[in-house]
Amino acid sequence: MRVLVVGATMPLGAALVQRLLDDPDVEHVLEVGSEPYASATPRLSYQRVDLTRERAVHDLVHGVARKLEIDAVVHLALHRSARDEGARIHARNVEATRQLLRCCAEVPTIRRFVFQSTAAVYALRSTAPALLDEDAALEFDPGATQWIRDRVEADLTVCARMGMSPMSIVVLRAAEILAPAMGSQLWDYLQSRVCLRPLGFDPMINVLSLEDAADAIRLALATTSQGVFNIAGADTLPLSRLIARWGRRDVPVPGPLLAPLYRLRAWSIGLEFRYDLNLRRFHVGGQVDDTRARAELGYGATRPTAWPRPAGDDHSTAT
Amino acid sequence: MSRLPPAFHDAGHGYDVFGLEPRAVQRAAALCRPIYRHYFRATSVGIEHVPTSGAAILVANHAGTLPIDGGMLWLDVLERTGRVLRPVADFFVSSFPIINTAFARVGVVGGTRGNVRRLLDDGELIAIFPEGVTGVAKPFRERYRLQAWRVGHAELAIRHRVPIVPVAIIGAEESWPIALRLRHIRAFGAPYLPIPASPLPLPVRYHFHYGIPIEVGRDLPAEAADDPTVVSAAADRIRDALTDLIAAGLRARREGRP
Repeated sequence: MRVLVVGATMPLGAALVQRLLDDPDVEHVLEVGSEPYASATPRLSYQRVDLTRERAVHDLVHGVARKLEIDAVVHLALHRSARDEGARIHARNVEATRQLLRCCAEVPTIRRFVFQSTAAVYALRSTAPALLDEDAALEFDPGATQWIRDRVEADLTVCARMGMSPMSIVVLRAAEILAPAMGSQLWDYLQSRVCLRPLGFDPMINVLSLEDAADAIRLALATTSQGVFNIAGADTLPLSRLIARWGRRDVPVPGPLLAPLYRLRAWSIGLEFRYDLNLRRFHVGGQVDDTRARAELGYGATRPTAWPRPAGDDHSTAT
Repeated sequence: MSRLPPAFHDAGHGYDVFGLEPRAVQRAAALCRPIYRHYFRATSVGIEHVPTSGAAILVANHAGTLPIDGGMLWLDVLERTGRVLRPVADFFVSSFPIINTAFARVGVVGGTRGNVRRLLDDGELIAIFPEGVTGVAKPFRERYRLQAWRVGHAELAIRHRVPIVPVAIIGAEESWPIALRLRHIRAFGAPYLPIPASPLPLPVRYHFHYGIPIEVGRDLPAEAADDPTVVSAAADRIRDALTDLIAAGLRARREGRP
């Protein structure tokens, strides 16, 4: 297998590349990122590409990738920060995905395309089941932030090609990866010593570890299945416990006050967490049902997130 | 009491995916037990009809302004079988602050197809009140008359081949008569604000009558659950069984039998 990893300089990309290199069946890995960085071994090469330029994407696929006889592509390079908005971000998230799909389909050796989407594409409503399966409604609220709208559009752009393209396509809708530099909203939320949450609501949250996320992509590359797969993590716990396990102070605040408070935090300290992006999740949870991935990909979350605090003895016995 | 639910599906941190926490179940049981024993002085007949393991659906009548009958049924099942009943609540319940969390911790789930399917696959014991909100708010003169009967429970029973145990709850329908339903007050998505006729529920004795399990899906393929005539016939059968059970329960109460 010869794999092209778009977004390889992100922690998830790096974890995946490491896994691929550990596998003797993988002959070559072509990393693509936006940072100047050089790593070249006989089995690994790096290409710096500005994904917002159509020509650059075209040249990458029809140039280096064709020459290396790449047969599988992993795309996980969506813009991470939820604070950046505008046409350039949209081009990076959606147009780049569209262009990459189009170009990859034109290269005869490329048979497989894996797109790393996110569980954030689902519409979170109190009328939805606690565990959302792949057929659950997507977030089409026009008032949703661009971060979500771009993800929904990119996800559907890839889904629309399933069965229409010579490549077999997999979309992985992964639960939030609670790790730094992954654009994780919860990670940033937990950086404050005091974490505010809506009073009277304590939804169940599921988080995924970087290792399990990389495993899911690895499995998606290994099978011939095509389709959309939810990827859930090994940790499911109430938001209040999540905050406690991170060693933070959990302070319930009446819901309507949270948006202005977190806007003030973003404005004064300038961090990533946006309450408007998480409002529904902080009320209803939004876990995904990964039954399909378990059955068809052989996926199963095994590695919990590395919690800074051990489980309190009050809860560790309640099994 | 340190009894843990026999079929607790820990999702990794001492909670199941719906938010049930065994410790919270014990706390809630300790809190409700005096009310159950000394205020409503509950008795129960036919608990042997409730399977001690595996999925099953309890179908009961519903009344009483607030779903106190659901709470008492939950405790009766817990006390007598050790199983944590998973009552299915209307959607709007998950929008109530505090209540939604308390309910989730003791096992209540939102009434969506996906949730119920998951519970049945996990072999849980669920409770459905097919009268829904119209039952809770039925006027006093309509007591023990089953209101608008939803058919979801019959469909689920056929599709998942699980038995239905009808449960007649006698007492709850007189304990807290409703005086008014303020339909223009729709706090947190509830269809109305109920105003009871008394400040507290009256201390009416509760009697639970568990009926013989009904296997509506026994001779049917799972796809029969998609046939509306089959489903409504099954729902009618369950409704008739519950109506008979309620009549028998009322008769027993009149005659002073348990």
